[in-house]
Amino acid sequence: MFLKKFVWPHELKKAGVLNMNARNYRVIGLNNKRRLYPLVDDKVKTKELAQTVDVQTPKLIGVIRAQYEVKNLLSLVKGFKSFVIKPAHGSGGKGVLVIKKYTKNYFQTASEKVLKYTEVYQHISNILSGLYSLGGRYDEAILEEMVSFSDIFKDYSFQGVPDVRIIVYKGYPAMAMMRLATKESGGRANLHQGAVGVGLDIKTGKAIAAVQHNVPLTHHPDTKADLMTLKVPDWETHLLIAAKGYDMTGLGYLGADIVMDKNNGPMVLELNARPGLAIQIANQKGLSHILDEIDTYPQNLSPQERVDYILNRKK
Amino acid sequence: MFKKMIVVRLFLILGLLCSIFFAGCGIFYKINYLDFSFAPQKKTPVWRVEAHLTYMPTAKESKITFARPSKNVHFKILDESIIAKGFQTKATNDSFILTGSPSPEQQDIYYRLLIYDVKENLSVTEEEVPSVTMPVLDDETLMIAKEILALSTSDEEKNQTKTLIEFINKNEANELVYTYFPPQISLKEKAEKIIELLALQNIPARLIRGILLEEGKKSFSPDVMIEVYDKEKKGWILYDIQTAQKGTPLNFIAFQKGNASLFDVAGGEDSSIKYSVLKSLNSSFSLAKYRAKNADKEPFFNYSIYNLPIEQQNALKWLMVFPLAILLVVILRNVIGIKTMGTFTPMLISMALVETGLLSGLGCFALIVSIGLGLRFLLSKLNLLLVPRISAVVIFVILIIQYFSIIGYQMDWKIGASALFFPIIILAWIIERASIIWEEEGLNHAVKEVFNSVLAAILIYFIIENETIRHITFVFNELNFVILFFTMLLGTYTGYRLTELKRFAPLVKRNKKQAKRKK
Repeated sequence: MFLKKFVWPHELKKAGVLNMNARNYRVIGLNNKRRLYPLVDDKVKTKELAQTVDVQTPKLIGVIRAQYEVKNLLSLVKGFKSFVIKPAHGSGGKGVLVIKKYTKNYFQTASEKVLKYTEVYQHISNILSGLYSLGGRYDEAILEEMVSFSDIFKDYSFQGVPDVRIIVYKGYPAMAMMRLATKESGGRANLHQGAVGVGLDIKTGKAIAAVQHNVPLTHHPDTKADLMTLKVPDWETHLLIAAKGYDMTGLGYLGADIVMDKNNGPMVLELNARPGLAIQIANQKGLSHILDEIDTYPQNLSPQERVDYILNRKK
Repeated sequence: MFKKMIVVRLFLILGLLCSIFFAGCGIFYKINYLDFSFAPQKKTPVWRVEAHLTYMPTAKESKITFARPSKNVHFKILDESIIAKGFQTKATNDSFILTGSPSPEQQDIYYRLLIYDVKENLSVTEEEVPSVTMPVLDDETLMIAKEILALSTSDEEKNQTKTLIEFINKNEANELVYTYFPPQISLKEKAEKIIELLALQNIPARLIRGILLEEGKKSFSPDVMIEVYDKEKKGWILYDIQTAQKGTPLNFIAFQKGNASLFDVAGGEDSSIKYSVLKSLNSSFSLAKYRAKNADKEPFFNYSIYNLPIEQQNALKWLMVFPLAILLVVILRNVIGIKTMGTFTPMLISMALVETGLLSGLGCFALIVSIGLGLRFLLSKLNLLLVPRISAVVIFVILIIQYFSIIGYQMDWKIGASALFFPIIILAWIIERASIIWEEEGLNHAVKEVFNSVLAAILIYFIIENETIRHITFVFNELNFVILFFTMLLGTYTGYRLTELKRFAPLVKRNKKQAKRKK
């Protein structure tokens, strides 16, 4: 029955599910000052900030700021075997192009699609004219080094880039999930496009639950890997990087996207001032109660102390 | 953290209550004093009474007196005018006095009266007991009169006047009545004779002349009634001498009381008068101005919408329904949780649908968007920059609309003719957004977003297309304050959206299952 797909609001409330209106009004509205948004909305700025707190980010190759600079693309990426093009003010992975291999005329993306030079050129033009930017402003295109992904997650993801999203509330890591690309999501890690979300235990980084399209599952639909065996290594560093996001930006509610580099360990891909709510479904757990609890935690601790506080709490 | 929200909410609730109170007062006032109504098509009959006087001047100076209806509670005067070339008009309480020295040829003088809101009035104004002038009759006539009176009042005395008139009307063939009221006498003479009979019984009565409002009436004499003094009620009560009906008929406009004639011409001859009555239906709305004037509320009215020129009123009528549509958008997005392209896109589409009609509008929209998407697909092969590309799409849309209109007109094809009403920029953005979503996330997502937007547009359409709703939001536009505060109050709604009840459902269901397992 159609109605069976629905639940009562009080049931959601009991489960502590944070909804969109409450997120916007109570959480973002009260904890994220508007003037701080540019710090995370501009990925070049985010990279600069990350350096100040010793957080690693993918190495910046160059920035294309104006249309006439687009033709310099090949000379800019000279010496890099692979690279990523992304809009400086993008959101939700829109406009991100991962080039695995390329020649003078052809570019191969992470999802094994082959693009002509003119198509890549067009893509960068689109970025510059603001097609992917928040609010459609003129934008810049960032060229950065491709993260050499750790093999640990190879079986868990169909192509693409698996990353860890950690929600940080008032500097404390609150909830975490890993996003795994699928065939359906076209190698992207966006849940609404069909990527798999794996909820992670905030203290250990071990998988708790997994969903695709809001439906719980236990095995990856393409690679058939058992998702419940997933454990993110170097979890404490992940938490620390996420917690530092608060000190970098001052945002009381943020989402840190962290990737695991084969050589350099975890690094911040981007920070988000309006992280979505799908993480609750991936964790099969509501966020409200956790946020309420963090409200009672001590303020003015260092990032390391906050991570320890989370790791040592009883629950 | 929540304290601030509670304060804001209280403030907004207070505002909402104030606005409801204000709107309530406004609506009450408008219904009671301006006769506005919730029904859009309410019409008020307006009666136009015209007296056309012709006469031949004989003296150098003419003086004409017209009786005019005195201020009365049972009808309202919209307009009153005298058209008389070369005369000076002076208005008194109960008459117009015209003086002038016209050339010696036939003179036409018009007296026009526009009357509306004719209502029943049962109240009687108290007056002192008037004296009764005994009629001077010869013996024979007096005898007949007394016999008629004796016959008509043979049963117990309930209402002497009514029984007398009824008796006379029923027994026209009766010898006495026939003699006293010969069939050839005019209504006026008949009324005068009834007054005589009443005087014999010491009942004060007088002649009333006026006009019975009957559609398309043309008459050379005024309608005649009598008024009889009621000793209990201490006031005059009208009787129709033809029907014996007591009380002022709803459609009777009294011009003149007593014996003086309705018009008087001094300094002329061959005078004749012709009365005509026409009825027209005006929307209640257009009479509001006069109602305000009659109620001495003119300054208030002058600063309201209803005193603007009609074109501006129509534009505002259109504008006044927007707040409701905006509120709907807010509800659709923040309470129901439908994702649409752009916040107000559905509203703008629905506005266009109101102009075009639902089905032909939707057909036209679908055609324009699909043709636009096809062209946009070809355009993407050219690798243009964003702004010129969107501009090209806008121009495409304009051209599509142009050809649709031409074809629609030539082939009498309603879908084609609808094209002109859609907002161009909105269509262009829908096409651009849809094509990008198509490229990035697949056709499914693109169709879904367009579908959602159209669905929302149809929902809004059904609300704003309603003539009653548009009438109410315009006529009782104080309601927009209520909508404003309600919209702001929704800005503090932090509950679940309807779609979230489905989105987060797996979360609750799994927990339920686990709870069962534990048991």
